[in-house]
Amino acid sequence: MHFPGKGKKDRTLLKSQKKKNSSPRTRRGKLVSAGYLLPSALGVLLFFVLPFMIVIFYSVVDNPISMQFVFFDNFVSVFRNNAFKQAARNTMTFSLVAVPLAVVLSLMLAMMLESKIPFRSQFRTFFLSPMMVPIASVVLIWQVLFHYNGMMNEVLALFQKDKIDWLNSSFAQVVIVVLFLWKNLGYNMILFMSALSSIPKDILEVAVLESATPFQIFWHIKLRYMSSTILFVTIMSLINSFKVFREIYLLKGDYPYDTMYMLQHFMNNTFSRLDYQKMSAAAIMMAVVMVIIIGILFLTENYFGKDVEG
Amino acid sequence: MKKNKKLLTIAITAFSAMTMLWGCGKGSGSEEETSGYVYVPEYVEMDVECNYINSVAAVGDDVFMNTVSWNEETGESSNALYKYDMLEGKGEVLPLALDENSNVNGMVGTADGNLLMVVNIYSYEQDENGEITDYHSEMELWKVSAEDGSVAESKDLSGIFDDPENTYVQNICADGQGNIYLSDGDNGIHVVDQGLNKICDIKLENWIRSMTASKEGDVYITTYGENGLELRKVDLTTKKLGEPVEGFNGGYGNQEFSVGATKSFLVDDSSKVSVFDLSTGTEEELFKWLDADINSDSVTQRGELSDGRVWAVTRDYSADGPASVELVLLNRKDASEVPQKEKITYGAMWVDSNVKKAIIDFNKTNEKYRITVKEYGNGVEDYQAALTQFNADLTTANCPDIISLSNVDFHMYVSKGVLEDLYPYMEKSGINKEDYLENILKAYEEDGKLYGILSGFYVSSTLAKESKVGDKTGWTLEEMLEFAQDKDPESVFPYGSRSSIFYYCIYNNIDEFIDWESGKCSFNGEDFIKTMEFAAKFPEEYDYQKEREGLSARIRSDKILLMDNSITSVQEYQMITGMFGEKVAFLGYPNSERKGNLIQPAGGCMGLASKSKNKDGAWEFMQVMISEEYQNSLVSEHGNSYGFPIRKDALEKQFELDMTPDYYEDGDGNKVESAKTTWGWDDFQMEIMAATQEEVDAVKKLIDSAEKVAGSVDEQLVNIITEESEPFFKGQKSAKEAADIIQNRIQTYVNENS
Amino acid sequence: MKKNLDELSQERWDKEVKRKKSIRNARHLVRVCIATTVAACFAVLFLMPIVLTVTNSFMSASEISSNYGQVFATSDTGGKMYIAEKVNLKFIPDMVSFSQYITVLFKSPEYLFKFWNSVVLVVPIVVFQLLVAAGASFGFTRYRGRIKEIIFFVYIILMLMPYQVTLVPNYLVSQWLHLLDTNWAIWLPGIFSPFAVYLLTKYMRRIPVSMMEAAQIDGAGEWQIFRHICMPLCKGAMCSIAILLFIDYWNMVEQPLILLSDQEKHPLSVFLSKINAGEIGLAFAVATIYMVPPILVFLYGEDYLVEGITYQGGIKG
Repeated sequence: MHFPGKGKKDRTLLKSQKKKNSSPRTRRGKLVSAGYLLPSALGVLLFFVLPFMIVIFYSVVDNPISMQFVFFDNFVSVFRNNAFKQAARNTMTFSLVAVPLAVVLSLMLAMMLESKIPFRSQFRTFFLSPMMVPIASVVLIWQVLFHYNGMMNEVLALFQKDKIDWLNSSFAQVVIVVLFLWKNLGYNMILFMSALSSIPKDILEVAVLESATPFQIFWHIKLRYMSSTILFVTIMSLINSFKVFREIYLLKGDYPYDTMYMLQHFMNNTFSRLDYQKMSAAAIMMAVVMVIIIGILFLTENYFGKDVEG
Repeated sequence: MKKNKKLLTIAITAFSAMTMLWGCGKGSGSEEETSGYVYVPEYVEMDVECNYINSVAAVGDDVFMNTVSWNEETGESSNALYKYDMLEGKGEVLPLALDENSNVNGMVGTADGNLLMVVNIYSYEQDENGEITDYHSEMELWKVSAEDGSVAESKDLSGIFDDPENTYVQNICADGQGNIYLSDGDNGIHVVDQGLNKICDIKLENWIRSMTASKEGDVYITTYGENGLELRKVDLTTKKLGEPVEGFNGGYGNQEFSVGATKSFLVDDSSKVSVFDLSTGTEEELFKWLDADINSDSVTQRGELSDGRVWAVTRDYSADGPASVELVLLNRKDASEVPQKEKITYGAMWVDSNVKKAIIDFNKTNEKYRITVKEYGNGVEDYQAALTQFNADLTTANCPDIISLSNVDFHMYVSKGVLEDLYPYMEKSGINKEDYLENILKAYEEDGKLYGILSGFYVSSTLAKESKVGDKTGWTLEEMLEFAQDKDPESVFPYGSRSSIFYYCIYNNIDEFIDWESGKCSFNGEDFIKTMEFAAKFPEEYDYQKEREGLSARIRSDKILLMDNSITSVQEYQMITGMFGEKVAFLGYPNSERKGNLIQPAGGCMGLASKSKNKDGAWEFMQVMISEEYQNSLVSEHGNSYGFPIRKDALEKQFELDMTPDYYEDGDGNKVESAKTTWGWDDFQMEIMAATQEEVDAVKKLIDSAEKVAGSVDEQLVNIITEESEPFFKGQKSAKEAADIIQNRIQTYVNENS
Repeated sequence: MKKNLDELSQERWDKEVKRKKSIRNARHLVRVCIATTVAACFAVLFLMPIVLTVTNSFMSASEISSNYGQVFATSDTGGKMYIAEKVNLKFIPDMVSFSQYITVLFKSPEYLFKFWNSVVLVVPIVVFQLLVAAGASFGFTRYRGRIKEIIFFVYIILMLMPYQVTLVPNYLVSQWLHLLDTNWAIWLPGIFSPFAVYLLTKYMRRIPVSMMEAAQIDGAGEWQIFRHICMPLCKGAMCSIAILLFIDYWNMVEQPLILLSDQEKHPLSVFLSKINAGEIGLAFAVATIYMVPPILVFLYGEDYLVEGITYQGGIKG
């Protein structure tokens, strides 16, 4: 569903709204709308904000038993911790590689399906199918594929290549990126397909007639129109990139080969060893980085969004 | 269409709301039940003198006990049948016409109010020297009146079995129709009617663990199937076993079933008693044994009365002399009716049986406090998850007051501040730390603070002939490997397998490979690789089937060079020396400081939670374990105790007793030294005489040399090493490659924790 | 003249269009061929695991163990070991066997029991999270102000937090509220999760304010606007979010593991994640059965999934 030309009208309306801001009716409406928000806000407060506050509390005490206030000692020690550094590095690399790849590849897939190929809807369903496979059987199959004596190495053997210990070497990152892409491309693709289909046809027609090359059409029109979708897909992929931990965990347990060791491993393990303060400090640092990333994405969207809508 | 959708939405909402309510109702319901009432024990007066209880059965609300006692002087044994009317609280002894050569091999109550007994009658001929020549047994089924113990009928059972001479009746049961079910030791079930006419025979592949009639009058058996213990009906219409009963989830527990009075069965899983309803497939907990101050280890039989009370026959095996048999009635009472005591929680992965006894004794006598036990790891599917749960609780308001330190990471708890220093408490109670073995206390100390106490301990070590290894009390891994490397793996350790080598060389000394100070580990170092190569010589699994000489014979002929064993008493030391046939050296586990003899707690080891809100109450119980009285009670006159007490004077007393000979008077009235007891292992057996000073000194030396507590290695590390060393053992990777991967993964572990 | 010129240009214009179209058609054909091939390749890769899971579930235990037994041999300690000599990935069973299914469906009730646990845990979360989210999104959409924007930003941050971060505090909160070991410990955090709020708000904010304004001027109250304007327009979005939620929670592992110590309450997903060597054959059958609800939900709602997100979403909206 798409509402073309929304921007301008909204803005004028917003202006006119501002004028009658003080009218009792608006005030009442505001109150009522806040009421709609209330249940969720309370729940979020109780089950998400409060826990997060506890995390903050734990991050500044020495341990959850004696609870001595220690300022930023935990942050310093976590920041110096080699395992944390490794985990942060891995998580960052993974997200930096996997998320853009997920965006670009799924966009390509979407464009491909756009070109009216036969069995389009079947393909669409196929690409979405990984979403439905229970995680455990994904892991089973991935083990069979990337095992030291697994399928991939059999294939390599056909080409007279040496065996690779996929899960116990620097290739491990490749494996999880592939796993991540396999799981998430389908959904991203759907997001892109709907965005593509909502680009006004007349603009594309004109572009064709203006002898625009397909590349130009893609770059100047499609991409512009999809900028907000791209950012949305980026966010969704980012969320999902954190979920890849579960697969790694099921593949290799608490302490995988160091190239697969993620921040979530760090948090998970420090939790089971009662090091809540370490876990909390790591979590807060992660949250800070997250706020920064989201902030940047916000600004970027504001910039591009205006460009199209204005 | 639209309407349909609306309906659908409503239906879904209603459904989910219902499921929520259902789940909620279930959740809160069970909580109420456990907190609203308690079961209070009432000990029934009874005068039973016997050596052991042969079998117990109930007919309605009457409990029957068949006991055997023997006369020390004449060497004759005699049977007795006790009857207790539980509702009236009356007991009597019924005459039972059993002679010396017969015994009851199973007893069960029938629906028509009689007792059925399987009676074995032995007969033999003796020649002039008193040697038994012609031995054979007969089996009879007796129908005994529950009123007066008279035998109403006796029938020969041999017709039922294919090979009656060699058949042993394991269980007997009767259903509502009066049919009789017999299970033999060969996993066969034989069902006959009252006239002993065969109804059917059923043969099982799995071992029949027990057989019980249900309240409904059907007979069920339990057996270990694919998913643990299964409860299956003996179905007479199909003449087969029914499918496992749904809803009964036995796991690999130790459930005992008895016929129920309110629900189908009474189930005792050795920690709690519950009732199981066949029609709904639900189990409902009645009480935990410990909450009723009963040691479940001593419960021999239990049952439910028609008024909902539960009875149990207990027998204390630990006491010397004739069995002390008790009959307990458990009355359900409202929690408010019993005096409220302050609650102290004892948290453990599982509770040691000595601790259990101490808790029961404490609860019975202490007016102010009551210990409740929270056992995390008993019978759970996922031990690791239970451990995580245990650890998680330590930091919350759920934290137990007393924390069992067996099978947990003691050092981690100390470093996280979970435990309280115990020296101030000892001082306050007037317990002098000089009275206790320094090295043992020291092992539980950190920075001069004591974080754990234990009642007793033993020492585990590596044993070898002193003539082979010299008079040493420790060795390094390098020395150990040098000694064993080029020997035939079969001759290094008894039962040696790859994993046992890893345990021996690495897991007992994991700190040797991890330097926590610098945060470096050395799993790709020479020592580890050498160990892997050494372990590779051993079979993946020890072949127990292979024909071998006896242990002792192999040790003496140097076909076994090392043994990984514990010394729990002077007598065990005496036996070991006897087994080796010469002086034994205790080398301990490989350790770079040559201090590898490890202290193992025996009979519980506990710490005080720093989060506890009632530390004084907790300490009141804890101090019992090291009190003079308790420590002295660990001293065993016959020297066959398991573990040494930690109090110096108690230990000295034990040694003294070990050195005191036993005497008997021979026919001429001379005092002759007699054996204290007999010890044996595999092919070896010896009579233990009073220990010599030399032997006691050797044990003392061993105890003194032990400075470290056997740590528990994190399962994570074991998993990583097992997983990644496997390709090497399979010859797919070199030792170095495998070690590098292990190093890589464990380094992350170390980094995380340093 | 002017008219002529117009006609001429019109003619030219038409010709031009035709020429371009024919070129486009030729190019198009080539492109379609390539695209189809590539898509087909991808489709094979994407479908393989699902097909494998299903076909392998029809293998007998012995066939499974001869194929992968080596890979998943269990060590003494229960850890997985990687020792296969050679893995034999097979699509078609040598002999179709239903033994795994018979075990799962008839012999051991625990799987069905756990399946039911999954349903009990997941369905309320999906339904009520949507309900709560619908209200909240409406709240976020109407009368946007600075405070609401800040709250919304907080929602986004919380949504992005990996659950490992909040799992422990969640444990503490559940304990405080005496929810531990009851399904509520899973339900409540699920129901109030900000994820659906975020998605739905993004969507609702695309509805032109003018529509709501118009209704308001006609005298509609907030409820009417919510019920008769927002909800009908968001139906597709709600369905698509429901699918996402369902699939996500259907596969949850950590939350029940930590918050429900009573293993009888655990959903099937937890069981599946802990499967070990002896049960691999069973795992495929259980996984196949476990896939049925998501597939049904998915097939039923696939169109919504596509339609529902047909908007030019952006993180701020």
